[in-house]
Amino acid sequence: MEPLRRRARTFTAVVVTSFALVSTGLPAAQAATISTTAMMHQSDIANQRAKIGAMLKRQDVRKELLKLGVNPADVQARVNSLTDQQVQTLADRMNQLPAGGDSLLGVLVFIFVLLLITDILGYTDVFPFVKKTVR
Amino acid sequence: MLDQVFALTRRHLRAGALLLVAALTGCAAPGPPRPVGPHTVELSKVPFFPQDSYQCGPASLAEVLSFTGVPVHPEALEPYLYLPARKGTLQAEMIAQARRHGRLVYPIEGSIAAVTAEVAAGHPVLVLQNLAFSWWPIWHYSVVVGFDPDARTVILRSGEQARHQEPYELFRRTWTRAKRWGIVVLPPGQLPATATAHNYLQAAAALEQVAGARTALPAYRAGVTHWPDSAPLWIALANGLQAQGDLDGAEHALRAALDHDPSNAIAYNNLAMVLADRGRWSEALAAVHHAIALGGPFLEQFRNTLTTIRCRQRGDCPSR
Repeated sequence: MEPLRRRARTFTAVVVTSFALVSTGLPAAQAATISTTAMMHQSDIANQRAKIGAMLKRQDVRKELLKLGVNPADVQARVNSLTDQQVQTLADRMNQLPAGGDSLLGVLVFIFVLLLITDILGYTDVFPFVKKTVR
Repeated sequence: MLDQVFALTRRHLRAGALLLVAALTGCAAPGPPRPVGPHTVELSKVPFFPQDSYQCGPASLAEVLSFTGVPVHPEALEPYLYLPARKGTLQAEMIAQARRHGRLVYPIEGSIAAVTAEVAAGHPVLVLQNLAFSWWPIWHYSVVVGFDPDARTVILRSGEQARHQEPYELFRRTWTRAKRWGIVVLPPGQLPATATAHNYLQAAAALEQVAGARTALPAYRAGVTHWPDSAPLWIALANGLQAQGDLDGAEHALRAALDHDPSNAIAYNNLAMVLADRGRWSEALAAVHHAIALGGPFLEQFRNTLTTIRCRQRGDCPSR
């Protein structure tokens, strides 16, 4: 029994160490050449940031924000300071939305967008995926 | 009187049930062939594999793959595509399988104009349709192989029909209910008629990930020929060439990227690595200093490049 347990412990140690090696080894092993995938990912993030920015420039969005007492320029600045990860998450959520027309759906999308923005600002707390700005 | 009403209802129900069956199998009843207009475009060389009950995914993909010169039967694709539990195929699996066969997959923009432009250029378009309702979907893959602009019909390889003619309006409705999903499948080196440089690069890079640099290189080459001022395409080409050990070609491509976009930090960084591989240390250091001066989101990696080049020049890089 005892040798078996010892062997099991050794096995565990080997597995844990190799996992640790793999996970820490990856960034170091990364060549200094920027891969095509990394380059594409970065340009996607930039595009998404621009898309969110364009949405904030919409006249109806600005008007509603002002009504809520939020300065649109302030919001833009906060969006600019979101991390890549956050931008990605926001864009994913926005892409899951059906394209809004002028129907009820359009209204729902509009409300979603507003709440998203006020969430980012820390005025509201509707979406758990939005990292709140500490105020 | 009441009996009559019931009879009527029953008859309606029966008619409804028949319609239902037709929809479930994903095949409209074959109608008489319409006369073909003078401006009709039709890719008659696209093969046809009549599908079994639920196998429209494998059949459609086999049709477009065979057309591009990959001789493959739906049965061969089925194990990789068909999900018995869902009685169907996921779009992501279709794309992955096409790439695994070394083909470039380009998702088209969701408009009839894009579909007809691709078909007119000789590219059949694999589409997903929802033949029923949004709340009760019947998914169906088919291949647009032609269209008649005068009669406003598309010609589809669909289900058990080799030449199914469908009015634009009906096609638009069933296609819209499937979020207008459509792809063209091409041999690397051929350009989609409706491609943008950015989306094309994405398609080529995805192909490279699945099928390797050697397969994707013709796609990058065709890309830079068509969009010579796209620095990202030149960089992707250079990365592919470098992976193949063609340092000369990689250097040339990166210099082309910088010709068109002198402020491209990534191009400078990667050029530095290529030059270092060729032992041209001072040029490599100059290039990486350019990259660091330009900065950007990859600044950390640029600094890493500098460290790597310096230690390689000294020959004392720590072996990882």
